[in-house]
Amino acid sequence: MVVIKKKGRSTKKSTVVTIFVVALVITIFLLMTILLLGALLNKNRESYIDSNVQKLYNDLNEMQTFSLLAEVYGDQMACVAFSSKLMDMDESIWNLGRKIDQYRSVSEEFKKNPYYLEQKKIFNENELFYMVLLKQLKVRCNYTQAIVLFFYQNSQDCKKCDDQSFVLTDINKDIDEELAIFSFDADLNLTSLRVLREFYQITELPCTIVNDVKMCGMQDKDAILKEICKDQPDIDVCKQFEDKPAN
Amino acid sequence: MNIFYSALVYTVWFLSTYFVVFFLLALFTFRNKLFEEKKFSGKTWPFVSILVPAYNEQGKIHKTINSLKKVVYKRVEFIIINDGSKDGTSKEVRKHIKGDSRFIFIDRKKNMGKAASLNEGIKKGKGAYFGCMDADSIIEPTIIEKCLPYFEDDIGAVTVNVEVVQPRGILHKVMELEFILGLSLFLKIYSFFDSVFVTPGPFSIFSKKVLDEIGGFDANCIVEDMEISFRIRKAGYRIVHCMDAKVQTILPRGFRKLYVQRRRWYSGALETVFQHKHMLFNRKYGVFSFLIPFNYILMVLGLGLFIATQFLGLSRLFRNLYNFRYTNFNFLERLLEWEFDVLGYSSSMILGLIMFSFTVLIMILGLRYARKTFNARKTASIGYPFIFFLYQIFWIGSLYAVIRRKKVSWR
Repeated sequence: MVVIKKKGRSTKKSTVVTIFVVALVITIFLLMTILLLGALLNKNRESYIDSNVQKLYNDLNEMQTFSLLAEVYGDQMACVAFSSKLMDMDESIWNLGRKIDQYRSVSEEFKKNPYYLEQKKIFNENELFYMVLLKQLKVRCNYTQAIVLFFYQNSQDCKKCDDQSFVLTDINKDIDEELAIFSFDADLNLTSLRVLREFYQITELPCTIVNDVKMCGMQDKDAILKEICKDQPDIDVCKQFEDKPAN
Repeated sequence: MNIFYSALVYTVWFLSTYFVVFFLLALFTFRNKLFEEKKFSGKTWPFVSILVPAYNEQGKIHKTINSLKKVVYKRVEFIIINDGSKDGTSKEVRKHIKGDSRFIFIDRKKNMGKAASLNEGIKKGKGAYFGCMDADSIIEPTIIEKCLPYFEDDIGAVTVNVEVVQPRGILHKVMELEFILGLSLFLKIYSFFDSVFVTPGPFSIFSKKVLDEIGGFDANCIVEDMEISFRIRKAGYRIVHCMDAKVQTILPRGFRKLYVQRRRWYSGALETVFQHKHMLFNRKYGVFSFLIPFNYILMVLGLGLFIATQFLGLSRLFRNLYNFRYTNFNFLERLLEWEFDVLGYSSSMILGLIMFSFTVLIMILGLRYARKTFNARKTASIGYPFIFFLYQIFWIGSLYAVIRRKKVSWR
């Protein structure tokens, strides 16, 4: 039988055990610190989304007030106020939708977080509400702002949805005030969204509606811009299409 | 994020952090013993045989012989074994050893392998201790005097620092750093836990008594220097590391040669671990039996994580780059608008960042405690944290060779 000679052991057993145990304690401490940091980041993400969804909700209330004001006191007064509101809302609404998706993906490492699903529902409902108000005021105040609706679902079921989202994000960066993009998550199964999908007869995802023109399937930047530019030729990015003869 | 991927990230992080913290604690605990000077306690200095097996080393062996000639230890013989070289190694050896009676030359016509050559040298040699070295390595003149005092009754072998001869190019410079940490400092730390798992081929010195007891080197193993360390431990002996002594070795030139060398090391290591699997998690063999499997489990999980990360990360990157075709390739425009959002990073990314920081910390502290300057290795320091990627390529090739039972070549 083999016997390890203990006489010449390099290091005392107690020292070896101490090093292993202290290393374990430090590692667990580091892991706990990171988990706490992760929880803190999650909390901050949720605070960010809470405050922005709340801001959206407040803005919508304000716009509803403008709409009522327009009905009672005439369009002119309400439209001036509405115009200033539009400027900071349109870009932020698209970004907020993307932030909810992004924060959800980095937060859900081990389990689904019902918070994000709930916020996404609230956000989509508010978006829908905002979109309807915008359409009303667009007619009433003679706005030329483009309205884009984007229907999508999770990337596992719809590989092209992420690609289309990438293109719309790019367009949103190019066109700021003159464009309002609304993204609707088909996975949420909201009744109001189902009605909207039926109205536009959407059977395939991703689907983009540009100023009520349906463009389902993957659309590149130029295709969407061309459609936007039909109604809003004064937008800077539309100048590139000016000299080209129409097909 | 996929739950399995997250679980893998956390598991690899925990195990690797545990190992790093353990290493740093050990380094701190034994910092004053790293370069301890041992005094020879015997009555007379013993006779030592240095064995140099050589196969096709025509262009390099003269440097090895020259370094042997400079050895100051008196009671020594140098046995060079030509292992059936097809080039002019034999002629070169004869030319350079001429007139020096300390040299013995065994000129074999048939190539039998390094381990078989070493075994033949052991039979022929008269030493109480046998230094085994590669024919492309250079030893320092006082290496024997530095190593012998480490031998006690239960010491089977003494290993020394392995350094790189004139590292040229970023790859060699990074490898030099790897050798300083991996084949010097790590071995020293492991020796405090009686867990030295390799007696590096460039130079290690063995007790003849122990070599006889375990039956010499395993001629069927492609990493005989690792395999013998398992049997030394199994026979109840320890291997210690002498930080004060050094051997220089020539690294293979170019990535392909380096890959072939590492594939042999790693696949041989896997086969050795499998061959001695009964030693794993066996308390009879102390910390050795836990540290070795711990390293290999970490390696396998790390490899899995590497592949998964490359798959997920690269597919995402390519997808994003691919999407730029829909936006007229305005890549630069969007890159300039990129915004940093700390909330957009998951805990897994923080884990990765911490692991990266630990690698840098080990590198800096390692160099300091190995008494090497950081300034002379600035270029290598930048490349070192990314050596992990290189390891994975070597490991994938090695695992493939082991799984396919492919015969791994020496060069």
